[in-house]
Amino acid sequence: MPIDIPKDKWPGSIKKITLGATAAEGGTRAKSITLGGQTTLPYLHFEAPTPNSPAIAIEIKSRKPEDWSPLLAEVWGEAMNDPAKWAKKAEEAGADLIVLALMLADSPDDAVKAVKSVLSASGLPLIVWGPGQAEKDNELLVPVAEAAKGEKLVLGICEDKNYRTIVATAMANGHLIEARTPMDVNLAKQLNILITDMGLPADRILMDPTTGALGYGIEYGYSVMERLRLAALQGDSMTQLPMIVTPGFEAWKAKESKVGEGVPESWGDWKARAVHWETLTAVALVESGADVIVLRHPESVKRVKSAIEELVMA
Amino acid sequence: MQHTLTFTGENIHATITVPTNTLLADAAQHAGVDIGQPCGGQGRCGRCAVQVTLGNARRRSTLRLSPEDIAQGFALACQTVVEGDLAIYVGPQEKIERRLTTDRVVAEITVPPDYDYDQVQSIQRVHLDLAPPSLEDQTDDWSRLQTALRTQVKMEKVACSLHLLQTLSDTLRAGEWQVTAVVERNIQQPEMPMRLIEIYPGRVDEYSPLWGAAVDIGTTTITLWLVDLVSGQVKAQVAEYNGQIGRGEDVISRIIYSSKNGGREELRQRVLDTINGLLDTACKRVKVRPEDVMKCSIAGNSTMIHLLLGIPAGNIRLSPFITSVNHPPLLIGSEVGLAIHHEGTVDCLPGVASYVGADITAGVLSSGLEDSENVTLFIDVGTNGETVLGNRDWMVTCACSAGPAFEGAGVLNGMRATTGAIEEVWINSESLEPTYRVIGGGKPKGICGSGLISLLSEAFLTGVIDKAGNVNLSAKTKRVREGSHGGEYVVAWGTETETGEDIVLSRVDVDNLLRAKAAIYAGFTVLADTVGVPLESTSRGLVGGSVGKYINVEKAVQIGLLPDMEWSRFEFLGNTSVKGAYYALLDWRRRERIGDIARRMTYIELSADNSFYDAFTSALFLPHTDMTRFPSVAQALDKT
Repeated sequence: MPIDIPKDKWPGSIKKITLGATAAEGGTRAKSITLGGQTTLPYLHFEAPTPNSPAIAIEIKSRKPEDWSPLLAEVWGEAMNDPAKWAKKAEEAGADLIVLALMLADSPDDAVKAVKSVLSASGLPLIVWGPGQAEKDNELLVPVAEAAKGEKLVLGICEDKNYRTIVATAMANGHLIEARTPMDVNLAKQLNILITDMGLPADRILMDPTTGALGYGIEYGYSVMERLRLAALQGDSMTQLPMIVTPGFEAWKAKESKVGEGVPESWGDWKARAVHWETLTAVALVESGADVIVLRHPESVKRVKSAIEELVMA
Repeated sequence: MQHTLTFTGENIHATITVPTNTLLADAAQHAGVDIGQPCGGQGRCGRCAVQVTLGNARRRSTLRLSPEDIAQGFALACQTVVEGDLAIYVGPQEKIERRLTTDRVVAEITVPPDYDYDQVQSIQRVHLDLAPPSLEDQTDDWSRLQTALRTQVKMEKVACSLHLLQTLSDTLRAGEWQVTAVVERNIQQPEMPMRLIEIYPGRVDEYSPLWGAAVDIGTTTITLWLVDLVSGQVKAQVAEYNGQIGRGEDVISRIIYSSKNGGREELRQRVLDTINGLLDTACKRVKVRPEDVMKCSIAGNSTMIHLLLGIPAGNIRLSPFITSVNHPPLLIGSEVGLAIHHEGTVDCLPGVASYVGADITAGVLSSGLEDSENVTLFIDVGTNGETVLGNRDWMVTCACSAGPAFEGAGVLNGMRATTGAIEEVWINSESLEPTYRVIGGGKPKGICGSGLISLLSEAFLTGVIDKAGNVNLSAKTKRVREGSHGGEYVVAWGTETETGEDIVLSRVDVDNLLRAKAAIYAGFTVLADTVGVPLESTSRGLVGGSVGKYINVEKAVQIGLLPDMEWSRFEFLGNTSVKGAYYALLDWRRRERIGDIARRMTYIELSADNSFYDAFTSALFLPHTDMTRFPSVAQALDKT
């Protein structure tokens, strides 16, 4: 007897947004990436296909970071001293796009130079983060946005206390922005309202709901993402945006990835554990509906990529 | 086509000819008639209302005018165009404003029409004419007095303190056996003997005042009304910040402080100092002595009552949140430490639970909710935002910590609603220049609750702050600047103020106000959801609290403090708690009803699930994250 699987029909859907501009679109990217477009919860193929696969970004820095795990330094090697080389290597490792994080030590000129060198070294769409200090972010991101006009970069990170300058320069120079809020559905929605109130169309916002690593609050992050997606599908336009999350940053902060010595022997091999941590964190978030996954280790990229392929195909 | 307009008013006589569709405000200006437009001619403030006594004018907007106003010919000069010959009366501007806001003004305190001192007052003053003792009649003084009470005023059993016994013989003889006794009937236990409070030599005029005090101990503000129990009239109203504020701004921190070594006694002393200070001020105003006050009815949240009485309050804070006493017995002034008559009665009104105290039961009584046929929402805008929803058949209540911002505390330039407080603010949407009104009309000293509400709303509508409360530092005005607490907006320059310092709205203030309004809004929305009553279906919204006299519904809705219902459904009652205490002070039947209210109310604990927190964060936005709840605000935003 054939069984009729009941299907949900949602009134809302996720907006489609495109990152990066090719020559035809007014930029220099080899290809652009389209995200979003979902009409149901993640990977419920019997209800609707997944219109656009989640994309994997690799995070690189404008200068060699001193606080990164030696495991990451080992795998990226010399390339960490030069963002252009690092970007190239990231592309080879399978990234769909690059996140370039600027550092506090960068001057506006340094920042522009780093962004330009990455843009010429790799044809992938680019996300640029400021160093994470309101004033410094604004100081660096404005000249970067101007220098890369038309590339459809994603500029970040906008927060509720500091979004005006970044949004204004994104509007003026044809870029997108990343809007981060601390794990709360209402706060995410509020920031999107503030940003669209300034006149930036919603399809130029990537929503960053913030997450925690496996064992460090991932359940909460997962549930917030799930609720954001449910609200979006129920028709709440201010949550109908693709989501970006940073499991690489979160997982490499965890003791399990960070520390190789002085931990119980039963924890096993350090490198294997660290990559597991990043991979498991990332895959859980993919399942909760993440559209962009920012990772740090090339091995994790490989594994998450194959997990995504299986999910999308199944 | 040309039309002739005639303007009249006090010292105004002007005639002008203008073409069809000329704006009335422009015509007046050309005619040399000054009509103030604080909101910049946007039709938002209602200050430019004039009365068209003859002829046709077309009103593009009648915002702020009631149907009665329009029927009487009132029109907003900035929103009305000329379509024929007109005669226009320009009233004194301030008077018009006052008239327009009368529906929002707290009513003067009127004595309940059914007040009958002889029947419903528990304190009675009686004149006694004692037979002098003699060698034949050797009855002792106290028995002689008791006999007189029994035979002359039918008071069967009367108890007396040692102190009175010590002075009795002198008093009787000083009055040559003519005395006046003040006696109290026990309203909590009517079977108990009556209590002799005081005995004076001689006769006192029957209509001379007998003093009582109604007190509301708010977490932030203490209010005291001095009342003549004979006529029932309120003779003085005074208020002051609670002296405990420096030991914690909300009840929880107050409780924590009281649990520290010596903290309980210190807090008791601080609240007594404030009340006794107020008593002194009020008594001086009517030229009596605090010891002439025979009875004091006290409303306040459960924590405030515990701290006043020196009862440990620690368990209020700890699950399962149990008070020591919800309904204290009748006490006397000297044991409580109040400066009223040392034998005077202290009646602490009954509360419901740890977080719903006598301030709410008293408030419900005075608001009339418990007697209303239709479902009514009662919101107390105070440091604890309590809400009651219901009617004469059922009542549910909840409490949430809103903080003291609406009482002007915890805000940089905040103050109570007294002389010198900015009580209303308008910001011109073009120039971003403010206009404000100060209580008493002098130089401003600070901003009170109603001023903060209107300031927040104006700053939001004109884009000085965004929906999250961030000050827009790129706004084109020198009034917006980076202050020591982040972005700020200068409401009054130092040259205009009493202190010589700028009066500002800072980012921190905005955050405190947002949290306060979000807590209150979340409280009543969750309460309504819990019982499944849509807010729109409530017939009336009653708002109590010490926010200030001229709280404006429109502004309160625009910041998302009150739900977006028709403005006319809201009524501002001022301090409902002290009013309830006043009713209880006068009338033992009303006093009994407060006890009845306390028993009938169902308390909903908001911390029982996550819904309150979710409602709170979504309300931490101007006016709310879900704009569909505030259609009138969406409209107002579209216009600006």
